[in-house]
Amino acid sequence: MTEKTRDFNMADEDFATVSSGASETYPQQCSALRKNGFVMLKGHPCKIVDMTTSKTGKHGHAKVHLVGLDIFNQKKYEDLCPSTHNMEVPNVTRKDYQFLDLDSGYLSLLEDNGTTREDLKLLENEIGKEIKTKFENGESFVVTVLKACGEEQVVATKVNN
Amino acid sequence: MLLLALTDGGSLGRHYIAMFEATQNVMLKPTETWREALLDTRVMDLFFTVHRKIREDSDMAQDSLQCLAQLASMHGPVFPDEGAQVSYLAHLVEGLLSMINGIEIEDSEAMGISNIISNLITMFPRTCLTALPSDLFTSFINCLTLLTCSFGRSAALEEVLDKDDMVYMEAYDKLLESWLTLVQDEEHFPRGCFVQPAIQVFNSYIQCHLAAPDGTRNLSVNGISSHEEEEINELQEDDRELFCDQLSSIGMLGRVAADHCIPLLTNLLEDRVTRLHGQLQRTQQHLMATSDPESMDRKVLDDLYEDIHWLILVSGYVLADDCQGETPLIPSEVMEFSIKHSTEVDINTTLQILGSPGEKASSIPGCNRTDSVIRLLSAVLRTSEVESRATRASLTGLLSPQMGKDIMWFLRRWAKTYLLVDEKLYEQISIPLITAFGADTEGAQWIVGYLLEKVINNLSVWSSEPGLANDTVELLVTLVEKRERANIVVQCEGWWSLAKQFASRSPPLHLLSSPVQRTLMKALVLGGFAHMDSDAKQQYWAEVLHPLQQRFLNLINQENFAQISQQEAVKQEIIATLEALCGIAEATQIDNVVQLFSFLMDFLSSCIGLMEVYSNTPETINLIIEVFVEVAHKQICYLGEAKCMKLYEACLTLLQVYAKNNQNRKRCDAGAEEEQYQDLLLIMELLTNLLSKEFIDFSDTDEVFRNQDQGTPASSRPVSAADVVLYGVNIVLPLMSQDLLKFPSLCNQYYKLITFICEIFPEKIPQLPEELFKSLMFSLELGMTSMSSEVSQLCLEALSPLAEQCAKNQEKDTPLFIATRHFLKLVFDMLVLQKHNTEMTVAAGEALYTLVCLHQAEYSELVEALLSSQRDAVIYQRLADAFNKLTASSSPPTMDRKQKVAFLKSLEEFVSNVGGLLCVK
Repeated sequence: MTEKTRDFNMADEDFATVSSGASETYPQQCSALRKNGFVMLKGHPCKIVDMTTSKTGKHGHAKVHLVGLDIFNQKKYEDLCPSTHNMEVPNVTRKDYQFLDLDSGYLSLLEDNGTTREDLKLLENEIGKEIKTKFENGESFVVTVLKACGEEQVVATKVNN
Repeated sequence: MLLLALTDGGSLGRHYIAMFEATQNVMLKPTETWREALLDTRVMDLFFTVHRKIREDSDMAQDSLQCLAQLASMHGPVFPDEGAQVSYLAHLVEGLLSMINGIEIEDSEAMGISNIISNLITMFPRTCLTALPSDLFTSFINCLTLLTCSFGRSAALEEVLDKDDMVYMEAYDKLLESWLTLVQDEEHFPRGCFVQPAIQVFNSYIQCHLAAPDGTRNLSVNGISSHEEEEINELQEDDRELFCDQLSSIGMLGRVAADHCIPLLTNLLEDRVTRLHGQLQRTQQHLMATSDPESMDRKVLDDLYEDIHWLILVSGYVLADDCQGETPLIPSEVMEFSIKHSTEVDINTTLQILGSPGEKASSIPGCNRTDSVIRLLSAVLRTSEVESRATRASLTGLLSPQMGKDIMWFLRRWAKTYLLVDEKLYEQISIPLITAFGADTEGAQWIVGYLLEKVINNLSVWSSEPGLANDTVELLVTLVEKRERANIVVQCEGWWSLAKQFASRSPPLHLLSSPVQRTLMKALVLGGFAHMDSDAKQQYWAEVLHPLQQRFLNLINQENFAQISQQEAVKQEIIATLEALCGIAEATQIDNVVQLFSFLMDFLSSCIGLMEVYSNTPETINLIIEVFVEVAHKQICYLGEAKCMKLYEACLTLLQVYAKNNQNRKRCDAGAEEEQYQDLLLIMELLTNLLSKEFIDFSDTDEVFRNQDQGTPASSRPVSAADVVLYGVNIVLPLMSQDLLKFPSLCNQYYKLITFICEIFPEKIPQLPEELFKSLMFSLELGMTSMSSEVSQLCLEALSPLAEQCAKNQEKDTPLFIATRHFLKLVFDMLVLQKHNTEMTVAAGEALYTLVCLHQAEYSELVEALLSSQRDAVIYQRLADAFNKLTASSSPPTMDRKQKVAFLKSLEEFVSNVGGLLCVK
């Protein structure tokens, strides 16, 4: 398979997940959000790294100041909204796979149920380098794949004990 | 410091300078030799004259006032007898009065003058004050009254102008504090002598905090009102904390003049509530007529809210004290006030006004024959009622959450003191108060029901206001934390429906923030220990705790739990359960710990299973550790040995699983560093909590005695606290980095933990694996030399037990022995060569002494080396003498408490003598 078709496939699958019922986000009142939890900020799924309240004047109503990091590229986003507002919260899941192979920039991963997937690209980030080194050293390890809003990414590795 | 320059001559001077640098205000306690000089009235006159001449220069004026403040603090052997003290004081007060009365006070003088007054009121015995000629005493009190009111107005002005330097505010604080000191000793003074002053100061405080026309709030000098809406963040303290000192003094003065102040507060508050009601109605009509709600001017409403805010705060401080733990008593002045008027009071009308918060008090016939203390509470209930009705009319957006907080705060404070007032605690009791709020009264039942309804309403209306929701659940906790109150609460239907609603996680309670939900859980558990018949009790637990357990077990026992564990609904259920467990742990009290511990222990083992399932989900892991932290924090001090063992084992397993799952894990997702830091912080908290058992232990000793292996020493128990803690440290230490120590809370927690370990298990330190030992020693050195003074002190405290451990073992050349030798030099340099704050001298001194005992030869070498580096013969001699004197009382030094104390005493002198010689500032 060429890279192009792979990419196409991936996009296709994304589309499939979007329309397959379970919605990608759900609403939650701002005040019920929690630090370390997730929220959509400016359309990006973010991890909440800071959440503070403020008010205008002593008798004003609470506003929530949210600071989040995009869970995929770690870009910082902020939002300020009345604490009564509903915010969208992304459904975020994590899944562990046994790493099998690295082939022309794509990871080959084994699921618990025995099936393999080969559609995840090795990214040029810290964890990407980490995987490459481990692969080159012949280490046996597990990767954690984070998924939200139809996007997936490896976010952690763990060498088998 | 002019005075210091004049009086310098002995060792006194330098010592005082050091203390001045630390605290700014030191009380002057000269020796007898100063008697002739300082009791000569011309000396004091000189200082007053100097000040008069230089007062226009703000810098010099501050110094000369500082001298006068010193003179005002003079005490000790310099006075031959009380007569001398009285005439000295009289002269001082005369000088002060003539100084103040003749001038218009400059801004720069305000603080100095308040210091003089504060010092003389604090330092001179009450008998001296009352021995003053009565017209002088009266003039002094009058002057103090005028000055307080005037500084109060200037302080208010500073606030309007938003000045950075709040000199009048500081001076006002100081004077109010002095009033508190005076009034607390009221019995020493002529009866009633503070009533008029109290009225004046109280009135002026109220006036400064009310809007025009009754008050002057936000009015600048030219009478123009300023009204700016600034952004207030959550870190800013609420006024009730920010101004708690002022409010305590004003509250106390309000009690002294209760006859005036309590009715005044009631009138003002009733008036504002009526106006608020009217204004809300007008606003509602206006809103219905307009399409643009933004066009509303909130100025009138905000002014009313601010007035009510201050009136409620002051009322709270007048009526009750803030007590943690013990049962706060109704202040005696308030009790006397209520008793004094009880014959004129119509109790039925009083109860009628209390019981009808929806009606205007003044519309009830006979409303001027009510008990004023109850009437003031009724006024707050009326405020609360207007608020509740506005929420029902969908006007929540117009309300002030701050006012809501004030109401909750007041009611909580009030309930702790007045609700179910216990006759036995008082010598005399007011009939109206006992009739309205005593045990088994309709009044008490009615008010509990009312408060509960209010709490329930608030939790659904104000879920978006974290502060208000929090004050609300805290009121709920107050209602149920005492058995007697809880007994009434659980008879209310509202309570049961609240419990059911929360247990079923149905809206709107799930909108509350997680800390509020935790506290709500805590309250619901506390309520379960109220008196109920066994059927009711069984039903209650079946509705509160069992659904939690059942839902949790159903979920985790599903075969495919691991597969569905990442589904949003599943994760939410797990998080809600973990949060609830934290809340349940918080509800622990000595009389419920048995039930709660066994309930929670079942969960703890399941939680370890969750650690595996969610090993890749850091948010959840974090919360699981927190559950353990809370359980250990709240329960370990009550647990007997067998239960303790169970908890230790569970914690040890938790740590093992955590370690296994995080070994060789590399994360690079958003917030990874922060989350790892939080995990570490929690683990250290957990370890510290486990260690705290060694200090605080309320467990029933019977259980220990019943235990078969009672004779076995701690070390042969299956799992000891030491094992768990050292295992934990083994996990934590390799993960600690200097970068992580930059988080102050983590840094403090870390050092607290390692100091605890050194203090409690010094015998375990030499047995540590080499790497662990090294990093521990390195941590101590790092903490001592390059962290905050608090951390540095902790590290110093860890050294003595380590040195003692070495001395006990008598083995030389062990790694610990060598490490302590290194620490000797560090502590020596720190004490002798570096500038350090005086608080640290004690900790450093103790460490130095034990280290010197252990390494006498090395200590002598250090002293020799230091001496031989001195070129100046005079300095050499002074140093040599000082070192000799230092160890004179303790040679040869031994680990003996008496010697150590003597050494510490000489060390203090040594530091003040030598500090200046060697310190390079």
